[in-house]
Amino acid sequence: MKFECGDLERALAVSELMPEAREHLKQCANCRREYRLWNEISSTGRQLHEDWDSPALWPNIRKMLEAEPKPKSAFVWWGEWKIWAVAAVVLIGVGLLLLPRLQQAVTTPEAKIAHTTGGAQDQDFLTEQALADVQRTEAAYRRSIDKLSQLAQPKLADRGSAVAANYKEKLLLLDSAIADTRSNLDHNRFNVRLQTELADLYREKQQTLQEILTRDQKN
Amino acid sequence: MVWEIGLPLRFPVNLSEHPTDSELAEQCKRGNLRAYERLYDLHSARMKSLAFHLVGNRADAEDTVQEAFLKVYRAVGSFAGASSLSTWIFRILINCCYDSLRKQKRLAEKPASRELPSDPKLPLKVGLQRALEKLNERQRLVFLMFEVEGLKHSEIAAILEVPEGTSRSWLFEAKRELKRMLTESST
Ligand SMILES: [Zn+2]
Repeated sequence: MKFECGDLERALAVSELMPEAREHLKQCANCRREYRLWNEISSTGRQLHEDWDSPALWPNIRKMLEAEPKPKSAFVWWGEWKIWAVAAVVLIGVGLLLLPRLQQAVTTPEAKIAHTTGGAQDQDFLTEQALADVQRTEAAYRRSIDKLSQLAQPKLADRGSAVAANYKEKLLLLDSAIADTRSNLDHNRFNVRLQTELADLYREKQQTLQEILTRDQKN
Repeated sequence: MVWEIGLPLRFPVNLSEHPTDSELAEQCKRGNLRAYERLYDLHSARMKSLAFHLVGNRADAEDTVQEAFLKVYRAVGSFAGASSLSTWIFRILINCCYDSLRKQKRLAEKPASRELPSDPKLPLKVGLQRALEKLNERQRLVFLMFEVEGLKHSEIAAILEVPEGTSRSWLFEAKRELKRMLTESST
């Protein structure tokens, strides 16, 4: 691919393109100016941190907090070890009573999955059933996105349009984030946080594509 | 670490020199004001600056920081620890800033004047400050948190409850928009 001035912004978003961009910068004063401004926005941004002395601020906050009733969950009996000791004894008793049943349950397939992934005890992980649901939703998202992508293609193909270029860059960024998250998920497909992140990225991509299409209708 | 169990709850108990986030959260839940003071020491500089950029002046910025601490104190009992305490306090601060802006709008017929720098030696700084005002809310927030206050994308993502990739993408949009505005204003 021949690197052109219009490719600079894309290179700023996708680091893999930077080596080509640097070659181009050597010969193009205009892009050098743009690139310098891009970096200056960050360095000047740091100078916008606003620092001033507020000697009365903490004393005021402290006074205000002192006037407040105790935080609601700061249980008065928190520090009373006797209650905790009794609770622990009761829990251990109940645990011992239930142990034989739990051991039986662990041999069922769902329990095996839950057991190996942290399952029911750990809300950071999905059960096999929940994972299947998530994957169905993901497939639906992908179908919707494929359809929208096809519809948005003519609008995005307009090389002369700055709006189209902006959207293309945004979609590239989203695609790269989606690819990262999916590859992380390959190693940890039960992870709720990663699945949520992936769903959010799909949602964002879907919204972006819808935005492109509705903008098209408005214009 | 050993907590001094049995002391009155609001009596300052010792905090370790570098308490972890969950230790701080636990002590905040117990109403230990030393824990709040530690939170203040850790985050107030960035909280004040972020609030300043969102509400537009130092006095209101200090008020929102104060308000944020009060809200943390009142709500800490329901803090489940799904995010870190620092993340949570910034999220509350941002909400306080938007409350404060709404109040400013209600009280004044004309928009409140913002304290903008006017250093003739730093035209880019002035231009950037003005351009920031014109960004949309999410772009401005991410730019302020990442570039101005030095938070990481992982932290911003947790504060705004979006994926890390979204935080990166909003920062990119923000910088592209700022570059466009700065280029236009200089021609
Ligand atoms: Zn060029």
